[in-house]
Amino acid sequence: MAYSQKVLDHYNNPRNVGSLDKSDPNVGTGMVGAPECGDVMKLQVKVNPQTGIIEDAKFKTFGCGSAIASSSLATEMLKGKTVEEALAIKNTELVNELSLPPVKVHCSILAEDAIKAAIADYKRKQAAREAVVAQAQ
Amino acid sequence: MEQPPCWQCNKKYTGLFCAHCNALQCPVDDYYSVFGMERKLSLDVQALQAKFYELSRLLHPDRFTRRSPLERQYSLEASSLLNKGYRVLRNPVQRAEYVLKKEGFDIGEQGTKDVPPELLEEVFELNMALEELKMGDQQARGAVEEARQRFAAMRDEIDRELEQLFQQWDEKHERATLQQIRGLLNRRRYIHNLVTEVENVATLSN
Repeated sequence: MAYSQKVLDHYNNPRNVGSLDKSDPNVGTGMVGAPECGDVMKLQVKVNPQTGIIEDAKFKTFGCGSAIASSSLATEMLKGKTVEEALAIKNTELVNELSLPPVKVHCSILAEDAIKAAIADYKRKQAAREAVVAQAQ
Repeated sequence: MEQPPCWQCNKKYTGLFCAHCNALQCPVDDYYSVFGMERKLSLDVQALQAKFYELSRLLHPDRFTRRSPLERQYSLEASSLLNKGYRVLRNPVQRAEYVLKKEGFDIGEQGTKDVPPELLEEVFELNMALEELKMGDQQARGAVEEARQRFAAMRDEIDRELEQLFQQWDEKHERATLQQIRGLLNRRRYIHNLVTEVENVATLSN
């Protein structure tokens, strides 16, 4: 089975590969994996706390071409979105954009899980910080 | 499970051959039943091998060349079932997967939630080190070897846990035990793939 042009493009020229500072309170990190294929995916977002807009997104994925393409595309889609808009991203958007075949749909689900995990981590950090601020007052 | 009566003499029997007329019967599509064993997860592999040799002789199609076409067919089917069954049952992981399937578990797709986050961190770090090693960074070798040992130890630990759960299921036949086994098998597959991958990379970059 051949990969679609778009998958190949993202696979050969992945966007936004790298990492952001995990300890930055404005950075949320999502780490997910799929036991059946051994894939592991790390996706990070950097949010402007004033506007709630995602200013940067990075990923690093070890896995098949579709998993790499799904997470690469996800980081592209994330930039400029608000946190709430990002949570609304569905794996079906990735499937359609990349023309993923049914056997590779789970790669897009993994990417959606990674987005949700990264944002959950960001929210957790923000809540923790607010709690500290509230305590200090 | 109740066996139908012998196809040749129509009498009741148990096993692969009719106790009355010695005709070979249509084999039941179940590895344990071909071996004439109860469905148990703990199993003596040496006894299994002895049984395999014994039955291989008894069921060999060469012994049935002068029998009826039906028996020739059954001997082919039984022999093939026996061979497949031996391959699966002698391996604890494949054996457990087989039993799970027979007990109605879907062992294919699994969600991401079965992988604990701290394990994912380790897997990620290992993959980073592997990538560096692939790109020729010999300094990564130490980290890779360390990780290989850690993951191999995890796999051994899982194997020990599995062994205990096998016994537990054999004694009590509780579904919850099978559920636990299924979770452990998933983790094991994940870790096993990693160990194999590490070994491949380590050999290639030697």
